[in-house]
Amino acid sequence: MEWMNSHLLSTLTFFPLFWAVLGTLLPVRVSKHWTLAGSLILFFISLKLYWGFSAQGAEFQFAESVEWIPGLGVNYLLGIDGISLWLVLLTTFLMPIVVLASYDGVEEREKEYYTLLMALQTGMIGAFVAMDSFLFYVFWEAMLIPMYFLIGIWGGKERIYAAMKFFIFTMVGSLLMLVAIFFLAYQHKVQFGSFSTALIDLYKVKLDGAGYFSTQSLLFLAFALAFAIKVPLFPVHTWLPDAHVQAPTAGSVILAGVLLKMGGYGFIRFAFPLFPQAVHTYQHTFMVLGSIAIVYGAWVAMVQPDMKKLVAYSSVSHMGYVVIGLFSLNAIGSSGAVYQMLAHGISTPALFLLVGMLYERRHTKEIKEFGGITKVMPLFAIAFMIATLASIALPGTNGFIGEFLILLGTWKANPGLAILATTGVIFGAVYMLWMFQRVMFGPIKNDLNKKLKDLSVREMLVLAPLMIAIFWMGITPNFFFEKMETSVARLVERTARAEIVSTAMNGDVQRNK
Amino acid sequence: MEALKVVDPALLGLSSEQLAALVPYFWILGATLLCMILSVSRVIPAKWSVFGVGIAGIFFAILSSAGQITMHRTDLFGGMMVADGYSAFFNILFLGAAGLSIFSSLKYLDKEGLQYPEYYVLLLFSTIGMMLMASTLDLISIFIALEIMSLSVYILVGFRRNDRRSNEAAMKYFILGAAASAILLYGTALLYGSTGTFLITDILAKITTTPSLTTPVFHLGAWLVITGFLFKIASVPFHMWMPDVYEGAPTPITGFMTTGIKAASFAAFVRVFIALGYGKDLEAAVQGRLHDVLWVLALATMLIGNLIALTQTNLKRMLAYSSIAHTGYLLVGMIAAPGSEAGFAPVVMYLASYTIMNLGAFAILSILSGKGDTGLNLHDLSGLAKRHPWLSFSMAVFLFSMAGIPPTAGFASKYYLLYSAIQAGEVWLVVLAVLCSAIAVYYYLRVIVYMYMRESQTEGGAINITPALGAFAVAMMVAMTLQIGILPSKMIAITKRVVAKI
Repeated sequence: MEWMNSHLLSTLTFFPLFWAVLGTLLPVRVSKHWTLAGSLILFFISLKLYWGFSAQGAEFQFAESVEWIPGLGVNYLLGIDGISLWLVLLTTFLMPIVVLASYDGVEEREKEYYTLLMALQTGMIGAFVAMDSFLFYVFWEAMLIPMYFLIGIWGGKERIYAAMKFFIFTMVGSLLMLVAIFFLAYQHKVQFGSFSTALIDLYKVKLDGAGYFSTQSLLFLAFALAFAIKVPLFPVHTWLPDAHVQAPTAGSVILAGVLLKMGGYGFIRFAFPLFPQAVHTYQHTFMVLGSIAIVYGAWVAMVQPDMKKLVAYSSVSHMGYVVIGLFSLNAIGSSGAVYQMLAHGISTPALFLLVGMLYERRHTKEIKEFGGITKVMPLFAIAFMIATLASIALPGTNGFIGEFLILLGTWKANPGLAILATTGVIFGAVYMLWMFQRVMFGPIKNDLNKKLKDLSVREMLVLAPLMIAIFWMGITPNFFFEKMETSVARLVERTARAEIVSTAMNGDVQRNK
Repeated sequence: MEALKVVDPALLGLSSEQLAALVPYFWILGATLLCMILSVSRVIPAKWSVFGVGIAGIFFAILSSAGQITMHRTDLFGGMMVADGYSAFFNILFLGAAGLSIFSSLKYLDKEGLQYPEYYVLLLFSTIGMMLMASTLDLISIFIALEIMSLSVYILVGFRRNDRRSNEAAMKYFILGAAASAILLYGTALLYGSTGTFLITDILAKITTTPSLTTPVFHLGAWLVITGFLFKIASVPFHMWMPDVYEGAPTPITGFMTTGIKAASFAAFVRVFIALGYGKDLEAAVQGRLHDVLWVLALATMLIGNLIALTQTNLKRMLAYSSIAHTGYLLVGMIAAPGSEAGFAPVVMYLASYTIMNLGAFAILSILSGKGDTGLNLHDLSGLAKRHPWLSFSMAVFLFSMAGIPPTAGFASKYYLLYSAIQAGEVWLVVLAVLCSAIAVYYYLRVIVYMYMRESQTEGGAINITPALGAFAVAMMVAMTLQIGILPSKMIAITKRVVAKI
């Protein structure tokens, strides 16, 4: 217990793996209960982070440091700030839901399935709490392996193609990031005399940042590519619809709920503070790409005949907001972006779960197969409505706060793009409500739909926490903001450093003349 | 008695320190000779006695080599041979590879109906050749060691003598290998002609003190020696022999070759490479040219190896091409070594990790292969995860490791290698190297796709029972792959120490 309290982050990271290894020794029939128990225990342990985190305290809290590969300046450093605090909590919050949701859907190779889910959780939490860029990379890559198997073994018809695409896209991006990490570690040696991959050391490294192809800009692009693929940002988003459509429900939930956040988190933790000047150089490029993602994602979502694909493209659109919010480089936009990540991490998993529940009943996700579901499944309809409204950012739901702040922040940085992005909100309402109408309202055209059962108790238990979270986040945003505002302010300040530096340098040049 | 008088007494007068340095060689040589005797004796069944003696010899040789890693350097036979941490490290690597190959051979040979004791004897002889290669400082001894190693392996490649592919492989390997040896020997002669010595330490000393010795003859000799080695490590454009040979050889031997021969060639290559003055301030133009040539070769090796591996459906061939690609990564390490703090340590570490994961993969293939080395195509692995969950898991670990995905040995050593290449200023080469390894991910993962994500095609087919020794070998390699991957610092420290004084 004592050890656990002083190593809370290590406990959170490795507990799932430990639990999963124990689980392999148990008979298959208990593995789902075992995993559910483990994920609930983990969630309660993670609540300690919330109580223990002080908003005004040190930048990185619950820090742990152990020597790992001393020869290369790599250490096992953990810590969280106000932003990663919420992302870790989101991960531990979603996991029991995912496990409970898989209770009936997964019948084949159950033990492997639940072991992989737990291993995945170790990777995700590890990536959020790593304070050393090399350690981060290890978790970031190791996370791919369980996800690859989840899609590839328990996925749909085209699962192998989707799993392969997912893996290779992510791998290409992250390999270039690895090279950039090496380069930074080496630059640290050049400037400070020793190798280091620790994030706080790398923040101090000074790099030439003038122009589109300076050292800093190239390194920034290497990191940004990895994160943009994960977000996913237009035009490297194409793996996402495939992965989502083919993945089992649990896979989609984790993908949408946590893995996509990894991209945004990467920008926040790595790309922005490490390369402030390059961020300014490429600010508008990324804002334009983000806006394209918003509008393009919405348009493509509108014409999808498959519900899961529709939700997948809506993710592209929603994550576009995160990108423009972050790249607006002001406090409002950045807070909005973080909030949007959390909100999207609640409402999109809810949508995927709901689509999954329909799929389990009818074994199809085609919109045209449904219609009039409200009549046979009233409880389901209520839950679906709430998730839909959260997705189109109705005031009072969690989606609203994030999008509103992002648009405000974007307006400050680039009014034209803010207008373009706002149209995305309208299109968002169009595709979501249109789908809702076609699936839920009207007469029951298909006889197979007449006998559908409404939500079971288990399914209600799955959805209830998400529904509560949607309103909670929508009504009392301050509960969430108070822990993270200092961290967001620090991020903005760190990134703004570049402007100060470049103006100061210009001043020097003028004085010299 | 007359003959003994001719021998220089100084050669026989070994001090106790020198004798101690030779202990691993005595063990393995003794075991080999005993095996030879046992294999013709009719008293006890040759299979078990030869197997037992061979494994025991290897075990004790490993133990005595392990003690030498920390020992300081001992010169032997007037500087022709040396026992230092570097040679001890490689000896352990070769002995380990030999031991593992013998483990996985035992059942394999039964299956093929080829259970002849000569097999083990040849394997041990080839190991002796490898050990000598890593410890000689004399060009002629390098040549002899290379021949001891290669001749035994030529025979082993053709060991499935009723199989045409095996015969073809042996023939091809023999002819091309002989050509490579000839090139190496010719280069050696030219180097001797221009510097007057075979000792590679003297060569370096001489060209450093009198730069005028680096005549065109010297350059030609150096290039020929390097070409000879490039043949042996199967770098592009000297890689053509490799896939056919790897496919035709008995599976455990293929595993032994991809690891042992490659590691031995690299071990000697590194020593010669240093001796030729690469990375020293000698005649910038020559160094620049050598650097550029190797740069291009490394890139071509990585690219061609990976691209051709993409299209392979036979696992042995695929691993052969992937082995070519790994040679490319190793060449990146060679190019970068003088410019980085770690020197040749990343190359040594990469070789060790590669040996471990590749041996593991081939041990699995030996278990899975049917009679006549069939059943090693991709589709034969369909649904393997259900038939052999632990073998599939192990194979997946090795494949992820070869693809360089954490937390495995392949990742840690690739990381270390590329890290030092960045330090040496080879940023673009590193970028190209990682892009090549992104290509590799596809074909490694494809094997996993077949094992885990496809249904078995031969429903109700005979399930081979995993032989205990083979399973033991695989389990050991998995443990080591993960151990080096998660806690690489110890391995890094060891490799750094062993390359410190070469």
